This record gives sequence, structure tokens and C-alpha cells, in this order.
Amino acid sequence: MDPRLERILLRVQKPARYTGGEYHAVIKDKNEVNTRFAFCFPDTYEIGMSNLGMRILYGIMNEMEGVWCERCFAPWGDMEAEMRQANIPLWALESGDPIRDFDFIGFSLGYEMAYTNVLNMLDLAGVPLHTWERGEDDPIVVAGGTCAYNGEPLADFVDIFSLGEGENVTSEMLELYQNCRQEGWNRADYLRKAAQIPGLYVPSLYQVTYNEDGTVAAITPEEGVPPVVTKRIVQDLDQSYFPIKTIIPSTEIVHDRVMLEVFRGCIRGCRFCQAGYCYRPVRPKSPDKLLEQGIESCKLSGYQEMTLSSLSTSDYRPLEQLCDGLLGYCEPRNINLSVPSLRADNFSMALEQRLQRARKSSFTFAPEAGTQRLRDTINKNVTEADLMNACKTVFEGGGNAVKLYFMLGLPTETDEDVLGIADLAQKVYLNWKQNASYRARGVRITVSTSFFVPKPFTPFQWEPQITMEEYQRRVDLLRNAVKSNKSIIYDWHDPDTSYVEAILARGDRRLGSAIEEVWRRGGRLDAWSEYFDFDRWIDSIRSVGLDPEFYVRRERPYEELLPWSMISVGVRPSYLWRERNQAYKSVVTPDCRKQCMGCGADRLLCDRKCDEILPISARARTEGEG
Amino acid sequence: MAQMHRHRLRYEKTGRAIYISHLDTMALFQRAFLRAGLSIWQTEGFNRHAYVSIALPLSVGFSSVCEVMEFDLESEVPLEEVPERLNAVLPEGVRVLECYEARDPFKLLRMLDWQITLEYDNGVPDGVEEAFRKMLDVPGLVIQKPSKKSKKGFTELDLIPMIFDWHIEPAEERTLRLNCRLAAQNPSLNPQLLLETFSERCPSMAPDFIRYRRKEIYLENGEKFR
Repeated sequence: MDPRLERILLRVQKPARYTGGEYHAVIKDKNEVNTRFAFCFPDTYEIGMSNLGMRILYGIMNEMEGVWCERCFAPWGDMEAEMRQANIPLWALESGDPIRDFDFIGFSLGYEMAYTNVLNMLDLAGVPLHTWERGEDDPIVVAGGTCAYNGEPLADFVDIFSLGEGENVTSEMLELYQNCRQEGWNRADYLRKAAQIPGLYVPSLYQVTYNEDGTVAAITPEEGVPPVVTKRIVQDLDQSYFPIKTIIPSTEIVHDRVMLEVFRGCIRGCRFCQAGYCYRPVRPKSPDKLLEQGIESCKLSGYQEMTLSSLSTSDYRPLEQLCDGLLGYCEPRNINLSVPSLRADNFSMALEQRLQRARKSSFTFAPEAGTQRLRDTINKNVTEADLMNACKTVFEGGGNAVKLYFMLGLPTETDEDVLGIADLAQKVYLNWKQNASYRARGVRITVSTSFFVPKPFTPFQWEPQITMEEYQRRVDLLRNAVKSNKSIIYDWHDPDTSYVEAILARGDRRLGSAIEEVWRRGGRLDAWSEYFDFDRWIDSIRSVGLDPEFYVRRERPYEELLPWSMISVGVRPSYLWRERNQAYKSVVTPDCRKQCMGCGADRLLCDRKCDEILPISARARTEGEG
Repeated sequence: MAQMHRHRLRYEKTGRAIYISHLDTMALFQRAFLRAGLSIWQTEGFNRHAYVSIALPLSVGFSSVCEVMEFDLESEVPLEEVPERLNAVLPEGVRVLECYEARDPFKLLRMLDWQITLEYDNGVPDGVEEAFRKMLDVPGLVIQKPSKKSKKGFTELDLIPMIFDWHIEPAEERTLRLNCRLAAQNPSLNPQLLLETFSERCPSMAPDFIRYRRKEIYLENGEKFR
């Protein structure tokens, strides 16, 4: 360890997050490595180590011969100050080597507010910020994750965006690099070749021009570069790498437990939800495989907590079968199994009780909107009756706290919808009065509202966001409506962050200079309220000649060329537009199991249907044939 | 409350592991036992978990070659196999030396041997040992220690009765080594306090960096604590 670092570590908060050396961290012999990859998570260690995607790609890359993938996280402010003071460049946790000497620097982009961290980490590493400033000896900067679907605001800084699930494309990208070095190609050659790999988008090979009104006029790929890049998916999750043997942090992280992903995609089609569209098609894992992986993960980690993860876990068809199997292993060993992402319309107390949570007192539901009309508009197919049934079950079972999540500012929302939230909370309260098994304890009904942010690749990608003043007015309206009932607690998010998110989520590449300006003025760790500075964002965006309102407040016509038009997530834009029109008519779309509506994402599948669990025997057969 | 458990581990915490906090160290061992397939007694109650207890919490940044932890092993396994099995599943820097049946209750642990390395970036100044001697060769050395409990905001503490032995020797280039035996429990003397006191009294001899390492633990009679 760098002796300067030894001294610094004693002065900073939580030093264990900067030292590496955890159990199962991969250490390789440098003589047997020709490709070094720094997997950078643009947030703190505790957040980044909780990310399942990072663990998957870390495992996959380290299984490749000649490749060493190491980790790197955003330092907290105290550590950054020390590093700058002592001139210590950003290093990778495994080897302690500066990442500027690596072949690749890869960022996982899960949240727009991490963008300034990307710049800050590149700067701390000593890597030129802009793609055009990087030379043959500089690392290739790649980025993936949900925000990469519209990575345009980071186009100045990222050499390659990896779209969709990285399991296969990451190794293809690295193998190409290894070949490229053998053949003696230069950086530009490599990037052009990489752009031919499906799922890799090289922004510098596309020229974007703008109309006078600021909208995109044309997106022109260089000759031979694909005009549309389609995201990648894993065809068969059962056969795909899963990080059973994964790093066990030596210090507490946010999700400090075994994470078992039960399926990808979502059958629901909530119209505001980016993940719901971007992660299609639906691909469940088989319960047998999950059981095997869950048990092995517990054995190899020593965790006494396991959680099932997906966008909507109660939609996993063999959920009870899987839980029974897992509990058979977990219960005798006092391993706690938790199943989040449950819906009010298929909530089962029987399952809750099986999960030993009969004593759990607090339950969370997300109706998202206060009236049936608006829930139909956003296609959150949960009815008031569903919610009341779920609450009745909770209260009869001894629960005394319910959390209800809503969004304000959804398209077509009126005051009636806002007041509908208060109404719903009141009905939950009356439900408690009627059904509570033990009333002396009282009840706590927490209503939370967030500020709706329209996202790319959703039916609401053309919608304006309401103004912050209007959001605040609706907050006040709701606050007044619930304040007479002391059992109802109202929490609302401040609109500032959501406003900046709305700018970046649907931004174009001109915003790159704005993000750079925010960073130059001290912006970093913007996902943390102690660092986020709204005025710094707005002033910086204006200072580069852009108007925040252009991105936030404008309704886009269908004909407009959206900045992310060169990307496809599999779902047809025409399908999204049809869903948008259905929203305005408050017409619901049934979930994918009731009826396939032909969104187009199933075209990404080769040899199976959407939402199909292939029995092991059938799989063996198809593989035999293949 | 402080019930004695049947088995003990003696282990080292060095290198990168010195930054792992006390609480995280307990969690780390709880998981390591399960990874090693060694079943240990679990707490009763709603949130049941493997139980371990560490004799003396170790400050973040201090290393040690004499840590002691206790627990109840439920697996039928020869104790001499335990270190190997745990070491196979422990992170870098944490290494089990020995597993044995508990002998002395924690409350009898009285003294600790410390190896303290004083680093001087511009070379070791003359007279450090004399200065130490001058400071410690007195009947009493009362210092004020910040305290939240006290109204005055500090408590007074005499260091001398808590220092049993000390000597200084030259070590690597630009370093001195202070070996000392200090009180470990009821009361205990944190060696940092001793060195802070020295640096305040002799600012020209204040080290640029200090490393602390626990070497051995003792009963009141000077026998090793086990």
C-alpha cells in the first residue's frame, strides 16, 4: 500500500471502503494478464457493491483468460480532498494500481445524478475527460446500465456505450480488443470495429445536427456504422453466469445479503416505468436453477439473509414453489428470506406467513396514483379493491403500519387525482379501524409522493414535466387534505433533484458541456443531498447557452427526432406512441400474460417465447439439436 | 450479562484488514464460520444470528497479533482443525492462530503489550528516549481527557499507574519503536493518549506518523491471558 495512503486512511470516514482485500476479491498474476479493466461505479462503495450487475460482469470478465477486472468507487468528499492534496491518482481496489494505466475504464450508469461522478473519477484518475483528447495510451472508456439507453449527455466523455445486458457483449468487446492489439490496430480502428458488435454504441461515430429551435435535425452515422444499435439480452438466464462466488465486503454495504434474481423483464407495462420497457422481454429462471444457486450462494457467502429480486417478484409464477424450496434450506439455518416488490393485487398473507414475517408490522404498496382513472392512465393495474383487500389482510394479521407510494405530476393529473390520494389514505385508515386485530397500538399510514420524471423509451417519453411550482402546489393541496388525521403521515420529495433528472434523462449531447461546467464548479456526489446544489446545475446549464426548460417543459411531437433515436430497446416506438394515446383515453393495456400486445421486444428472443420457463428436458433437447 | 462462552479464537488483524471496524469484524467472523461449515451458537429471538464476542475492541487503524474472540462451537470438530478451516475463508489480513477451550474470563484480562512505531519523516530527533523518561519518571502524570459525561467537558486521568513497563529502541530508518505494557481494562489506557501527551509536551519530537500494534495480552499476575 502507498505509504501516503496509509496516513490518509486514518483521517477519512469509513476507510475500509478504500482498501479492498475482501473475501473473494480476485487477485491475478500481472504476468498472465494482458487486458486490465477498471469497473468504476460512480457512487460510493456501499452503493456500488450492492449492485448485482457489477458482480455479474466482474465475475464474467475475471473468468476470461488474460483479463483482470478490478473495482473502483467514487471517493467521499474527505477522501477526494486528501487524494488531490497528496496527488494520488484514482486506483483500483484489487491491485492498488492507478486506473489510468488500464486498458478499459467501465462505468455503470444507474442514475442521472451520478454523471458528475463520472467526470470527477476520470479527472481523479488522470484520464483526459473528452473522447477526442484521448490517445493510444489512454484507457477506452465504456459505460453501461439503465442510463446508457440515452447516454447522449455523456457522449463527449464515453468512448463506447454498452446497451442492455452485458453478459455476452462485454466479453466480445474484450476479445476484440485482445485481437486488435495482436493485429496492431490503433484506437480509432478498434472503436470502428467495436461499433460493429451488436449492442455497442460508439457516440463519436455519429454526427448530430440541430434545428434552429434546438431539436435534433439529424443523426448521421459515419459510413459503415450501423444507423440503429439494438440492446443486447441474455437468451437463457439459466445457462448464464450467476455470481454465486462473489465478493463479501468486510464493511457494511446497503444490500448486504444474497441477491437472487428470479427473472428479467416485467409483464406489467406501467407507462411511466423505464425499466418495465427497457428490460423486456420477460425471461424467468427455472425454480430448480434458482434453488441451486440460492443455496450455493448462502454456503459460499455465509450470509444469513437472502432476497429475491426482480421488477415485480410476485409475478414470478413458481414463487411459492421456489420459496418452499429455499425455506427448506434457510429455516433450519436461521437464514432470513425476503421477497420485496410485491403488488397489492396479488399480495398473499399465506406467503408472508411462510416467510416468517407474520410478526412484520409494516407493509409497503405502490398505487402510484390516487384515482382509478389516473391509475388506468398510467396502466398501474391495481384497483382500490385490491389495495383494500391487501390492507385488510395486513391489519387482520396484526400489521399496524402501511406505506403508500405515489407520484405527483403524472400526465393528465388533476386536483381530483391529487385529493384522491388523501381519500385513499383515509380509506386505508377506516380499513384499519374495521379490521385491526389489535387497535390499542394505533396505526401509521405513510403517504409518500415523488415528482414524476418522464423517461426515454416509455410511453411518456414525449410528455412535459410539470413545473416545480405546480408540484409544490399539489403537495400543499395533499398536505392540507391529510393533515386532520394524525395517523396519516405525509412525506414528499423535494422537486429540485427530479427537475435536474428530467433534464438529463431526455437530454442530448449538447448537455455534455453543461455537465462539465457543473463538475468544474464543484459538482459531484449529486445523488447525496449534502452535495447536490440545484442552483449550480441551473446556472451551469444556462452558462453554456442551454435552456433547462427546453428539456423539461416541452411536449415533443411524435414526428420529432428524439436524441436517443439511434438506440433500440426492442420495443417499437410506434408501440410506445400507441400506449401514450391509450393513456390519454385512460384505457388500460392488459399485462403480457393476459394478452401479448406485440410490443416488439420478443423479436430479441431466438429460440423461445417471451415469459417462458423451459423445462430442463426441453432445454437439453434444443441444445442437443443446436 | 457477560456470560462466558466455551470456545475461543486467537487471531491476527494486520495489513489491509486493520481498517475493518470492530462491528464489521464481528459480522465478518459470523459469516466466516458459516462459510467454513462450522456451526456456532446463534442468538435467540426474532433476528437470530451466529454469536461471537470480542474481548477488547480494536481501534480502526491499529493492528494486532493477539485478538481474542469467543463463541460456542456446535459442530463436532477437533479444535485444532478450526484455524485452517477459517483461514481458508477469511479475507486478507485476518488470520486465525489458534482455537481452544476458554480458560480465563474476559474480565480478568488486565494488561496489553503494545508495539508502537514512531515515524519521523526528517530523521529521528535526538533525545526522544530521555524525553519519555523525563515525562514518565514521575510519581503521577495527570492529564485531562475529553469527556461527554463530565460537566467540565473533561475528566482527569493519571497515566502512571496504567503504564507497567516501557522501552524505546531504534527500528528501521527514520523510526523508533516504543514497546510498552499498558492497562487494558478497568481502567484501560489507550496508547494514543500516551503518544498525544508526549507530542503535546515535546512538540519538536512529535512523530509524523504512529503505528500501533497489539502484541500480547496478560492477566494481572503477568501470565498470558487465554
